[in-house]
Amino acid sequence: MSASPPTPLGLALDHMKGATTTQHTSTNSHPLHNPLLRRVMTLPGHSYRTPPPMANYARPYPSDRTEKHVEYILVASFDIDRGSVMEHQYPGPVGGDEHMLAELMLPDGAHVRAQDWTIFFLHKDGAVEEDEEQGGRKKKKRRRAEANGQAGGGAEDDSDAEGSSSSGDESDNEPDDIDGPPLVYVLNLVNMKQDKTVKRGAVVKAMAICTRHSFLHIYKPLLLLALGEYFANPVVETLASLYEAVNSMDLSLVPKLSIYEKSILQSSEAKDLFLSKFEALIAQRMASKEKDGTHPSQSPTSQLHTRNRYGLPRDTHEFESIVKYANVPVPVKVPVALSPETVGDFSMVKLITTFATPHATAPTPFSPTHPHLTTSGPLTHPIIVLLNALLTQKRIIFLGHNLPSSEVAEAVLGACSLASGGLLRGFTRHAFPYTDLTKIDDLLKVPGFIAGVTNPAFAHKTEWWDVLCDISTGKMRISNRIEQAPLTEGVAFFHSNGAGAHHTSDKLGNPGGTGGISSIVAVGASMSAGLGGNATPASNMSGDITGDATFMNNVIAAINERHGENAIRAKFRRWILKFIRIAAAFEEVVYGATSLYIHPSITTNSPSLSIGSPRLDSPSKTSTAGGFELPPEVTGHGYVWPHSHAKNAELAANATRLEGWRNTRSYYYFIQDLAAYYVRQPVKELDLQHLHDKLSKLRMNPEASSNIYLAICAAVQSDAEISQLLSTILTGSSAADSSRNAGAIGTSGQPSGLFTLALGLFHPRLEVREQIAMLLDRIREHEAGCHFWSQLGRFVKIGFERVVEAREIRLNGDVGAEGHGEG
Amino acid sequence: MGGNISKIMSKIFGSKEMRLLMLGLDAAGKTTILYKLKLDSDVTTIPTVGFNVETVTYKNTKFNVWDVGGQDKIRPLWRHYFSGTQGLIFVVDSNDPDRLKEAREELKTIIENREMKDALLLVFANKQDLASALKPQQVSEELRLNEIAKNHIWKVEPSCATTGEGIFEGLAWLSNNVKLPPK
Repeated sequence: MSASPPTPLGLALDHMKGATTTQHTSTNSHPLHNPLLRRVMTLPGHSYRTPPPMANYARPYPSDRTEKHVEYILVASFDIDRGSVMEHQYPGPVGGDEHMLAELMLPDGAHVRAQDWTIFFLHKDGAVEEDEEQGGRKKKKRRRAEANGQAGGGAEDDSDAEGSSSSGDESDNEPDDIDGPPLVYVLNLVNMKQDKTVKRGAVVKAMAICTRHSFLHIYKPLLLLALGEYFANPVVETLASLYEAVNSMDLSLVPKLSIYEKSILQSSEAKDLFLSKFEALIAQRMASKEKDGTHPSQSPTSQLHTRNRYGLPRDTHEFESIVKYANVPVPVKVPVALSPETVGDFSMVKLITTFATPHATAPTPFSPTHPHLTTSGPLTHPIIVLLNALLTQKRIIFLGHNLPSSEVAEAVLGACSLASGGLLRGFTRHAFPYTDLTKIDDLLKVPGFIAGVTNPAFAHKTEWWDVLCDISTGKMRISNRIEQAPLTEGVAFFHSNGAGAHHTSDKLGNPGGTGGISSIVAVGASMSAGLGGNATPASNMSGDITGDATFMNNVIAAINERHGENAIRAKFRRWILKFIRIAAAFEEVVYGATSLYIHPSITTNSPSLSIGSPRLDSPSKTSTAGGFELPPEVTGHGYVWPHSHAKNAELAANATRLEGWRNTRSYYYFIQDLAAYYVRQPVKELDLQHLHDKLSKLRMNPEASSNIYLAICAAVQSDAEISQLLSTILTGSSAADSSRNAGAIGTSGQPSGLFTLALGLFHPRLEVREQIAMLLDRIREHEAGCHFWSQLGRFVKIGFERVVEAREIRLNGDVGAEGHGEG
Repeated sequence: MGGNISKIMSKIFGSKEMRLLMLGLDAAGKTTILYKLKLDSDVTTIPTVGFNVETVTYKNTKFNVWDVGGQDKIRPLWRHYFSGTQGLIFVVDSNDPDRLKEAREELKTIIENREMKDALLLVFANKQDLASALKPQQVSEELRLNEIAKNHIWKVEPSCATTGEGIFEGLAWLSNNVKLPPK
């Protein structure tokens, strides 16, 4: 079980390992030294390729977990005299308004189609009362809270994860549950069966599964079987047998991934990524079997299943398991890397094409426009309007008249994921994937809801929504009764300063330190455009200052080229990340500080460093200055623009929606999450994203770039640190950017991979070349890094070999000269 | 502007559009009437979960007919469909005199709503094919239309949804009496 990833190229570099595969154990606690010096201080350590022996590996679904996969199973039917009624709840009542639940389970139009799926969420937490949902829901919540006692508790059982000694621990217990227990997701199947023997000719029944797992779609085949069984045997035992079956599903061999590993896995097509984590869990299971004879908490049937499944996954993106229901073995595939706000198996591609196709063939100008929404004028792409609406917390309705309710539910879930990008939260918690008129009074109490309906009556009630997305026509409308955007400080700031570009450029010292080479480049017309504030912020704009039109063209092109769901989701993830980073820069410019970035407390806290003047100190000066000060180009943070005019123009173009985002739920959640993640972030003292963007976007002199290269090399040593770097590279803004950024590499819309870093192999300074080679060697040995390495071109690999060979010769000829002696 | 053109067109050709809401107790025959209008055929219907809505064109009038489920639990929802309704079709099972009082109470609540004050009221005295069905005059009296609908233009039309008897006559009456909305 030595899980060494295969070296993609059989380069004989083992002789190097003594020097390179050192575990830098003190990264987080050590006061940051000059990176030029710190390199020497790396300690010899055990090879990180060997998994810690027989550790209790972290698993998200340990076999001794206390919570159930499925908490409740419900059956409702449409009674011809009484309307929707609940027939059974197993193992007990969910609590709350039973009649309301039954109505949700029997969607509008259930009588016209043989089968339909719906999804809805229950806020069954009791402990945390969301202030937005007071009022009508309060009573229900309290009743639900009472029912909570029997629900097996919401608290996660961490005992298993905490005993773990594996290296990825720092990112355990992600702040998904900061605001109380997760939602209860309900997947519901409705069947209508014509039956001449009953009064009025048909029976309509629905069965629902309530789970706290966001991958509720895996239960679809089981619900189909069980509801069929219930039509034949309408007794509570039918529910009970399904309940037993789904809860005996064994997911204890799913490894737990850190947030960075998840993001890498989601962005990669490789089928064997992190395979060693699966291997380690299996080995652990085998060993414990040998020791104890049997695993204590396992039923004999699930033991049989696990034994059958000891084979490794064919694709590490999914974990395959089997649920045996009514003597039918039903295969289920559980996603290994889950993003927050991603619920079910919606298609983002479908959501985008639904609205992009009519926009491409016969675009309808938005009327009215709204500064938060139509950020590129009346013909703003509808998907951008939707994104803006989600980010600025508007009330959004997806309407699918004459469509199955599953279609509107999928659109709602797709929209939540679109705006989340796996980074922002607060959308699913206020989403109503399927709802109907009966819940309208409650719905209207929720600010910024995202709801799916099939009833066209909603379209006529423009006071109920801000944005209406009609998925049967692919048209989007802004309500004529939408609340006007207030004129905020940030919008006013760009409005008043916009007139004189030279005036603002003094204020907006680019923290990137671009050297001011291009400060004379005229931005011209772009400055006066897109200044927001009025109803049509950018109607007179000729270019695409927000970059959104280019971005959407890029997305549509990728869809047409069949890039697939993951690639499209990754693009929106990068868009959202860029939006957040621009927001941070915006706040710093307008308000002088931002909560969207955490300044490392380790370095000197002088604001002049973080705001960054574009001066470039010579490295010799800083390296002699006591060794505790970082060169200024290394301490910068945030989004990187090639010059301050570009920054100015982009901030101005985004001003209205950025102001609209501030004070929303997703904004405050992000600040909360940022703090929680920061604690566990392996590389704290540097903004890796910022440094990588600088390397890929800016033209720097060799001193400046060498400082950046060396800082990255020094900071990224351990497995966790490499994971963070790789994840950073994948979400790098160079990919989502439009081509107007001079020096951007990934103009094709794809991340540039390791290429930007690998260019350091050709740096004029020997030290940079060698350090980069050693970093690349560490990455090459990393279980995800090897996939990045294999994508590098031959040119780079030859460069790598030459640096390694040259180093070899130098070290042999001049022993111990370069501080090689450790300790 | 588009509205103006269609207004002119409607003056020349007499075509108009009318939004109708069809309500009534459960199992009165609303959905059967709707699909008789839409498809001119007798369809076997099952209880409506939620609503049905169809567009029917008859004698140059485009009728937008909403048919909302009638179980008592879901009747409070009816009000959400009121705004913009020009004509209310209230369907009564003439063969079920025991429930006429219940029907009267529901009808009273509907037409007293402010949003329904200008709506025409057409009552289908449905299921006239059954021998024991009440006559239209009896239905009108049982519902006390003279009293509860005194502020509305109303008519009781004997109908049989399965044969279509009376259905199109009712629509013609609505079409002749509707005032063009002042657009």
